[in-house]
Amino acid sequence: MSSGAAADVAFVAFALVAVAAGYRVFRTDSMVRATFLLLASFLAVGAILVLLAAEYLGTALLFMMTVEMVVMALFMVMFMMNPAGLNPMAMVHQPRLAAGAGVAAGVALAGVAVVADFPDAPVAGSAGAVAALGAELLGPSMLVFESAGITLLATMVCAVVLSASRGRYGPTHDGSVAPPLDPGGDHRPTDDLVEPGGGGHGHHGSHS
Amino acid sequence: MTAARQLHPVPAVALVGAVLGIGSYLVAVTRAGVTARVAGQRLGLAAITVAPLRRARRLLGQQVTTTERPDSATWVLAPAAYAGLAALALSVVPLGPGTAVADVDTGIVVFGAAEVLAVVAFYLHGWSPNSPLALAAGYRHVAAALSYALLSMFVLIAAALPAQSLGIGAIVDSQAGLWNVLRQPLGLPLLLVVALGVTASGPLDLLDGTDLAGGGGAEDSGVQRLAWEGARAVMLVAFAAGAAAVFLGGWHGPLLPGWAWMALKTAAVAGLLVVVQVQGARVSAERFVAVSWTVLLPLAFLDLLAAGVVAL
Repeated sequence: MSSGAAADVAFVAFALVAVAAGYRVFRTDSMVRATFLLLASFLAVGAILVLLAAEYLGTALLFMMTVEMVVMALFMVMFMMNPAGLNPMAMVHQPRLAAGAGVAAGVALAGVAVVADFPDAPVAGSAGAVAALGAELLGPSMLVFESAGITLLATMVCAVVLSASRGRYGPTHDGSVAPPLDPGGDHRPTDDLVEPGGGGHGHHGSHS
Repeated sequence: MTAARQLHPVPAVALVGAVLGIGSYLVAVTRAGVTARVAGQRLGLAAITVAPLRRARRLLGQQVTTTERPDSATWVLAPAAYAGLAALALSVVPLGPGTAVADVDTGIVVFGAAEVLAVVAFYLHGWSPNSPLALAAGYRHVAAALSYALLSMFVLIAAALPAQSLGIGAIVDSQAGLWNVLRQPLGLPLLLVVALGVTASGPLDLLDGTDLAGGGGAEDSGVQRLAWEGARAVMLVAFAAGAAAVFLGGWHGPLLPGWAWMALKTAAVAGLLVVVQVQGARVSAERFVAVSWTVLLPLAFLDLLAAGVVAL
């Protein structure tokens, strides 16, 4: 089998995996399964990018999507009511509207693929592509690329800070102080790292 | 990417299989030897060499137990994926001059991607049995993994800078005069921390830790346990080979042929990792995450910065 035919077979196989796994995302009943099926779909797309000689972009897609999906699974299960995501749970909201929107978008994209006049310019090799991508990212597009990166990072840090403001002894903005050892009293463990008193004192006093 | 660097697919698959098979057996033998020595037992070479085989035979004969409503498919697939990712990582590492399965232009990125994808295998290993201790262990290891994954990225990209290429063959070529372990002294120690995480062992034995009654493997038995243990040894071999190529000059060395130097260096890294695995105390996941973000990550960034300044 020539390498061209092998590439065609690989393309069809990865394309089928991408579509089938993407479909299964909405048919499964667990957040974790849905997350990793989505990842499977992305991995197949990454493999197709490698076949298209976008070797670096395809490989980068693999690890970036992996980390994103793992973070998603980790936080989704952590913040939701379904422990571990093994209990059956509906994975869809507004299914009719979503299916309609999905079909419409799919038909529109397929129409573009059929109607549009794509340039026929085979890429010679991937070595030039990696260098060209690097020059683009650190040349003309550097400001856009770096601003987007910093903005995303700041957003992630802020989201974690906002969602995880609860300390070991209660919300941090109320002061987080160890509870008293004697019921209703004010006798606190002396070896605790947190200083008694301040805002936290009043907060815990109100409980007793 | 030159044609001379590619092996024919059939011998290539056989080569990766042989290296991982023999390597993981030697890792198991070394671990048996180190464990016995630490415990003060005087075992002969014969006893140590058959110990892993005996354990494998026992596990193969043991029944496979199950839990209530597990995710059976991913339970079985997790070790397969883990070992497969080790094979993927090894396939981009040249084992001698011109002897790589696929010394692709983005080799170091593929190696890093295999390492990151292993986190999915960890997650599924802990999650699929539907068991509390397994889940808790999987969860904490994934949290630690998100911290070490960044280290690995910085360190590997720094190693690629002097070579001006992301291909591992080119990175080995760039170390003909000076190995990266000396050129970038922060690199190898940080990569070894990553190695402990990727093999979930030693100080980062958070996934299958005995503190959680075996953690992710708490519900594993028989061939399933054997598969996961084997996959961990296989990953250790692949990672040691990668570290030897990227930091210890790969096949460069006097007198001996290139593949022999590569084998010796891989064995040295693997041996060091096994000793740390047996001797190192497990750190708490929270402590590791804190140290990772406040100490190790700035060090990795320093490593990358220094490499960048030198490259300019």
